[in-house]
Amino acid sequence: MIIHVKNLLKRYGDLVALDHLSLDIKEGEIFGLLGPNGSGKSTAINCILSLLRFDKGEIEIFGKKMTPDAYESKRNIGIVMQNVAVFNELTVYENIDYFCGLYVHDKSERKRLVEEAIDFVELGNFKKFHPKKLSGGLLRRLNIACGIAHRPKLIILDEPTVAVDPQSRNKILEGIARLNEQGATIVYTSHYMEEVEQLCSRIAILDKGRVIASGTQEELKAMITLGEKITIEAFSINEHELQQLRELSGVLSVQWVEKRLVIKSGKKAGSLEAVLDFLKTHEIGFGRIYSELPTLNDVFLEITGKQLRD
Amino acid sequence: MFMHIFFYRFKCLIRDKQLVFWTLLFPILLGTFFYMAFSNLNDEASFHPIHAAVVPSGNSHYDAPFVDVLRSVSKGKNRLFMMKTAASQAEADRWLKAGKIDGYFSSGETIQLTVNESGLNQSIMKSFVDQYRTSSAAAAQIAKDNPNALQNGLLQDLSDHRSYVKEVSGGGAEPNNVLNYFYTLIAMACLYGSFWGAKEVMDIQADQTERAARVNTAPIHKLKMFIAGSLAALIILFAEILILLAYLRFGLKIDFGPRTGLVVLTALLGSILGISFGAFISAVVKAGEGLKIACLIFVTMAGSFLSGMMYQNMKYIVSQYVPLLSWLNPVNLLTDAFYALYYYDNLYRFALNAGMMCLFIIVFCAGTYLIIRRRRYARL
Ligand SMILES: Nc1ncnc2c1ncn2[C@@H]1O[C@H](COP(=O)(O)OP(=O)(O)OP(=O)(O)O)[C@@H](O)[C@H]1O
Ligand SMILES: [Mg+2]
Repeated sequence: MIIHVKNLLKRYGDLVALDHLSLDIKEGEIFGLLGPNGSGKSTAINCILSLLRFDKGEIEIFGKKMTPDAYESKRNIGIVMQNVAVFNELTVYENIDYFCGLYVHDKSERKRLVEEAIDFVELGNFKKFHPKKLSGGLLRRLNIACGIAHRPKLIILDEPTVAVDPQSRNKILEGIARLNEQGATIVYTSHYMEEVEQLCSRIAILDKGRVIASGTQEELKAMITLGEKITIEAFSINEHELQQLRELSGVLSVQWVEKRLVIKSGKKAGSLEAVLDFLKTHEIGFGRIYSELPTLNDVFLEITGKQLRD
Repeated sequence: MFMHIFFYRFKCLIRDKQLVFWTLLFPILLGTFFYMAFSNLNDEASFHPIHAAVVPSGNSHYDAPFVDVLRSVSKGKNRLFMMKTAASQAEADRWLKAGKIDGYFSSGETIQLTVNESGLNQSIMKSFVDQYRTSSAAAAQIAKDNPNALQNGLLQDLSDHRSYVKEVSGGGAEPNNVLNYFYTLIAMACLYGSFWGAKEVMDIQADQTERAARVNTAPIHKLKMFIAGSLAALIILFAEILILLAYLRFGLKIDFGPRTGLVVLTALLGSILGISFGAFISAVVKAGEGLKIACLIFVTMAGSFLSGMMYQNMKYIVSQYVPLLSWLNPVNLLTDAFYALYYYDNLYRFALNAGMMCLFIIVFCAGTYLIIRRRRYARL
């Protein structure tokens, strides 16, 4: 186990930020910590890193208890903070070199590592730039390079793509996947379910400081009753017919909003056919049809009763 | 590792243009401004000799020593009087009425002074007469026994016009009263150096900046980093203070007395005081950078004001009525240390100031240590 967290309790005054949080992160995975704003993702990360004092619980990294003095463990951890954490007085190259130098003492090795990190985030043309002169996306990439230049075995990224344009975001996600292929274990926090779905091999969903569900995407989606979400353009339908639709086998709920029928069905196949048959026999005109598989948002919605993102 | 951190902290600090401005350029500009504003205050050339006359009594027993003294203060570059000898009191009166002279002395058993109006020159003449009267007996005796003595020391006392000017200006101030302004200026620059110390703490305390949080996750002891950074800050500040001293000494020709070694040592002590003060305030005042800077500026400017930077007599008023405050004001301690080095032969007063500064440094360092030694934070 790379990270083992058990019953972590953290309070800010009266506010319980982490409520008996437990996590186990295995070597080689990309672990996603998904939760809405204020759910305690950063708090969890900072406790794991021994930056925050906590009230109760145990934290082990690489099988050893994590403390501020656990240098052996710290040497193998790379972090990318939620906010950009670089020195404005230093250039791109110097920033990476400075942080890398806190881990790697050999000068020539460090030089190689810094160059590699710069290539990795594609900042080769900006080596001499000061952070103030970089665009938001480039700045994020610098922030990442500072955290990973020393080639850590465990990389923790706290919302590294906040306020980043889609193009840069994709670059960043690809980069993270590549780091994982090269052998690093990744912990990735986000409140964007699409990112987590795209990237992570295992996911824990956080709400109000608690893990409300965890597992692979398939496992998470299997936990809920929703199997498919069908949207049909229907031009007119009356309340009686809606009620009849709701009673079809496999149908969980039916809503008619803005000339669209939104039908949620269970895991068993065949609901779509039954619905279409019903519409034809009752001569209800319909247009386009969409069918969606459940997302993590649906998982979150079904467990907590609210949207992951509002 | 230590060198790596030291080197990069040095770069970080020295490239902070705003800090360099406030800690180096600003004191230099202010010093230049002081220099221009005060250049007349102590300027020997700005004192114009007083037109005066003497009416001999005819009795050489009285006349000879007095005329001797008058003559000696009426020659050379720094002469006190432009002296004429009147044939009679009537002639002197005529000169006085015509405005050719500001007044005249009548020699005799007691020296008389006749003036028309009151003013600075008349007051100086009055002081001169008073002083002559009190010392004339002794002067006459010495003049008889050892005429050379008159030339060597005694007369210089009498002829030093500055002592008369001072008496007239009514304060117990010391001869070179401009120096104190420049001494407070150096003290102010040292305390502005607290910005450097504050920056070091901000970049090491994870609950203050994200950079510091990242640095705290590295496999290195926080205090080691802090010491490397503070050393860089100290070297920069000390160099700045030395530049300022050199500018004042060689550029503006401000006199610091002959004890160069101790002056430099005081500058070093002041630099350490500045850094440790900034670190302490920065560690105590967790809230935003703005509030910290405001605190540092307030303490520095209030301290400078109370040490006489804007109004010189403030320093004396404070030390007279609230002596405790002058011992608790770091700017005053530094100012007074420079002052003591210049004015006092023995080093007692200097040592008191230096000792008090060391005490402050110990308190600031200990306080900073107690706050920053924590490596886990309650909140970030
Ligand atoms: N320094 C602090 N003092 C008091 N409360 C805090 C502090 N930091 C966070 N909190 C509270 O703790 C809870 C968890 O916050 P945290 O920053 O860990 O959430 P998060 O999941 O990282 O959110 P985001 O997606 O916005 O980054 C929130 O309710 C937040 O208001
Ligand atoms: Mg967060």
